[in-house]
Parts: sequence; structure tokens; C-alpha cells
Amino acid sequence: MNQIETVTFGAGTVLLLLLVFYGGTFWLSARIGKKQESADGYMTAGHDIGFGISAASMTATWIWASSMYASATSGYTYGISGPIHYGLWGALMILFIYPFGKRIRAVAPRAHTLAEVLHVRHGRSSQLLLAGSNIVGSLISLMSNFIAGGVLISLLSPFTFVQGVFMVAGGVLLYTLWSGFRASVLTDFVQVVAMLGAVAVIVPVIFFAAGFPAAFETGAGNLTSQQGSFFSSTAFLEQGAPYIAAVLAYAIGNQTIAQRLFAVREDLIKPTFVTATVGYGAMVIGVGMLGVLALYLGIEPADGDVNNIVPQMATSYLPGLLVALFFVMIIGALSSTADSDLSALSSIVMADVYGQNVAGRDGADPRTMLLIGRATMVVATAVAIAFASLRLDILDLLVFVGALWGALVFPVIASFYWEKVTNRAFTVSVLAALAVFLPVRFSLVPLNGVTGLVVDVLAIVGVGVVLGLMAFGFFGLRVAQVVAVLAAVVAAPFALGAVHEYATLSGSLVAYAVSTLVCWVMSTTSGATFDFDSVKKRVGDYDTGEIPVTSAAPADRDDDDLDPVR
Amino acid sequence: MSTTALTLYVLVWPVVVGVVLLVLSRAFVAEWLEARREGRDLI
Repeated sequence: MNQIETVTFGAGTVLLLLLVFYGGTFWLSARIGKKQESADGYMTAGHDIGFGISAASMTATWIWASSMYASATSGYTYGISGPIHYGLWGALMILFIYPFGKRIRAVAPRAHTLAEVLHVRHGRSSQLLLAGSNIVGSLISLMSNFIAGGVLISLLSPFTFVQGVFMVAGGVLLYTLWSGFRASVLTDFVQVVAMLGAVAVIVPVIFFAAGFPAAFETGAGNLTSQQGSFFSSTAFLEQGAPYIAAVLAYAIGNQTIAQRLFAVREDLIKPTFVTATVGYGAMVIGVGMLGVLALYLGIEPADGDVNNIVPQMATSYLPGLLVALFFVMIIGALSSTADSDLSALSSIVMADVYGQNVAGRDGADPRTMLLIGRATMVVATAVAIAFASLRLDILDLLVFVGALWGALVFPVIASFYWEKVTNRAFTVSVLAALAVFLPVRFSLVPLNGVTGLVVDVLAIVGVGVVLGLMAFGFFGLRVAQVVAVLAAVVAAPFALGAVHEYATLSGSLVAYAVSTLVCWVMSTTSGATFDFDSVKKRVGDYDTGEIPVTSAAPADRDDDDLDPVR
Repeated sequence: MSTTALTLYVLVWPVVVGVVLLVLSRAFVAEWLEARREGRDLI
């Protein structure tokens, strides 16, 4: 393997590729740009996007550079089932959110962010808890994509990491700034065509160029029995299980998904999200197979960093022209996610900070809103560049944030179905879950004896909550309750006395369990009621002035102490 | 897994990706033509 020459580009070639890519996307976004953009168009493109564009956009947004690298890392580490345990559960994040998305859209057909709806449903504290977690997640994602761009450019050319970060950040901001979400969604289509087309060609070419299928026999000795098994328990426990726990958390905690739920034509939510599930899964698992091939070939990752496996395989086995296509694929993946993060951040600041909490709905000026949205994009880009230069461990950060989002899942979902959930129940349950999550996740208290047993029991409840909520979206309450109880009973013998030793998994499950238990107990005893039909009258477009608003909070809410608005 | 099964397992994903690409492209072109026919913006 060490004798194989790798392809690198000169500065001129990389600049030309970047110029073609970002020049093309800028030209495309300029084609739809309007001299006077609307605030609503900037956030959700009129709530009427068709299937082709929205499915492509959801696929492109969910595929980012890290997902391809991590899938290949999973294949290289866990063997033939590794990419499945990364890509399948990541794809199911898109699938499992659509039933809830249909309900959310029915309650608030013309909303812009999920937190905006929570403001009307509950009040400011619930809204800001969700909006705050959305902002943290999008900033980390933005930073991660800039890092991936800097690493790739420095790997394939004479440019430095920092120069690469600036090129990618400047390119993304250039085509997203003026038209916002509209530009993001339309350019996503072109980017997804480039990405999917590249994978359809690159994976088979590498497969045959590297000497497969014969290498499956000659390299079989490089795999352990677990790596060679399609039903590897190691792969499931270390990669699959923590990811299953995060399925709903990532979907609820990510404004890029909510934005597309509110943007696509309402009757097209299901086909859009099902298609994106298949597209994302096939693409990410397909790229992950490069990690499996590297394992069979006995390749050692450059500098001992498994994130180098994908670029290594590409530059070792592809001709120069296809390496250029690979370069465009990665740049497309990180750009499509970065522009979505910028759009998500701008819509949160426009709708949740300015629209709901600074100017108030009836005082919000769409032109000021637009200016704030664009300023947010510039500031977010600057912040992400600054943090990108620190080269933080992004996947660790994301696993941490994903577990944090677990605390929000039940309160958010329940708030759209159950009239008894109050602002106090929402806020207290999320904060209680975080208070328990942090010491478990970072082992701040010794998890032995009774403490370990309590964590195990809560984690078992968490398993029931996760699978119960998944079933609830598709099959309703009764089936969900049966699934939840069955899941907890089946998990109990394996989890008792053991699960507290897996800090990431148990922390995430405990967050689900505590927020669910606290929210359920407080809501059951609240005696509150809520008219869901009132939401659509209170959340709507800013440009038309169509929404009759009489106050900033629902009249029947009973917990004003948590809402300084009143 | 046999060599044939492993080969199919690796190469089925690019095929699925190609099918999704075809579905998305056809839908996009149809939407673009419809918007053009009705004289409105695509997005």
C-alpha cells in the first residue's frame, strides 16, 4: 500500500475547482435573487416548495463531510456492519421525524421555527431552551464543516488549513447571504446531484481499482470475527445503540429539519422525508464501504487518524479527474450543510429573538428582520471561523449536544399532542434532565452501588421512552405504550448492573427518562387545557400582516412566573 | 459472507444512490417546467 502514489493538486487547480463550484452556486442563487427579498421567503421560501427541491435539500443538508468520514471510520473500525450502524440510524433520524412533522405543520402551518411555535404554546422559557439548543447545534455543525473544508484543501493542495477554512466560509456566505433559505434550498439541489453522482461513480471505481472482489479473499485475515460478522454485537453496542438513542434527539434539536418541515408543501412531507431517508442512507453507507475496503486491504490510516481513510482511498485509487470529482463531492457535502446552518441560525434570530422577544409579533418590521437575518449570517460565519481554528474534536461535541437534545424530545413532542403540558412542566423537566445528565455523562459522581443501580433503572426507562416515542409517531398512543413497556422489559436483564458503565449511552438515556417522567407527572397534575387551533391564528407570515395578534402569550396559560412577557 | 454476497453488499449502495438521483432529477425538471408554464418562480 505504501508504494501507491497519491494524487494532489496544484494551487491553480484547487482555485479553479473552488471558483467553478462556488461561482456556479452563486450564479444560481443570483438567478432567483430579488431586489427586495421578503422576510418569510428568507426563512421558509413561502411554505410551498415542491417534492424534487425539498427532498434534494433535505438529503443534501443531512449529508455533511463528517458523516461520510465517520461512516468510513465505522466501517474501518467495526467491519462490514459498521457503515450500517452509522448510516442507517442517521437516515432514520429523517424518517422518524416526519409523522411528528405532519402534526407540527397541522398545528402551525405557516411557522418558521419550532421554537416560535413553542412560544405560543407555552411561553418564553420553553422557546428559548429549544432555540438556544438549536443555535449551539448549528454553530457546532457550521464550525465542523469549515474544519472539514480546511482539512481537505490543505490535504490536496499547497494551501494551509486556515486558508482553506476562509475559502469555504467565504464561498458559502457569498451565495447564501442575499436570498437566505431560498438560495440554500435551490443550490442544495445542484449540490446533491454532484454528491450522488460522484458516489455512484467513485465507489465502484475504487472497488475494482483496489483489486476487489478478489481482495475479499486475500484480505479476510485482516478482520476479526466481530468485524467479519454482519451481526456484530460490538458494532451494535459501541456504534449502533448510542446512535439509536440519538435518532429523535437530533431530529428535534436541529432547526435545519424543522425549517424544511415548514417550507415543503404540506401534502408532500411524507414523500420528501422518505426519499431523503433513502438518499442519505444509501450515500453515507456507500461511502462508508470505503472504510470496509480499507480494512480488507490492511491500510493504515495516514498519521494514525481514521478520518483520513476516505481521502486516502480516493487519492490512492482514483485517477486525477475522479479525485477532482471527489473533491467537489466533499465540498458540496460541507457547503450544503453549512448554508443550511446559516439559514437556520438566521431564521432563529429573526423569528425567535427579534420577531417574538424584541419587537413582538405585531411590532416586527420585515425589512429590519431581513437585515438582522443577513447580519446573523455574517456574525455566525465569523464565530465559526474563529472556533474552527481551534480544531476542536467536533464529533465529541456533537455526541454531547445530541445527548443534551435528548432532554428536549419528550417535552417538545408532548407539547404538540397533549393539552395538559405546561410551560412550567416543559422547563422544569428539561432542566432536571440536564441536571442528571451532566454528572452521569462526565462521571462527576461515582456510579457504583445504589447510584449505579438508579442510573441503570433510569436508562431502562429511557430505552422504553425512545422506542415508545418512535412507535407513537407512526402507530399512536396505545401501540407506543405497549412498545415502551416491552422495550424496557427486554432491555432490563441486559442493562441492570451494566449500562452505567457506558457514560455516553447511559447519560443520553437518563436525559430521556428524567425529562419524560418529570414532564408527565407535572402535566398530569396540572389541570391545564390548551386549544391547538389557536396556534395557527398566532403564528404566521410577517410580510403580509395577516395574523391577528392580541397578546404575546395564551390567555389560558397558568404559569406566568416563567414568562417575563406578561 | 461469500465473495459474491460481499460484492453485492458493497455495490448495491451506489445503485440505490443512482436511482434516488434519477427520481430527484425527474421531479425537479417537472417542477421547473410547471413553474415556467404557469409563469411563476420555481422557489
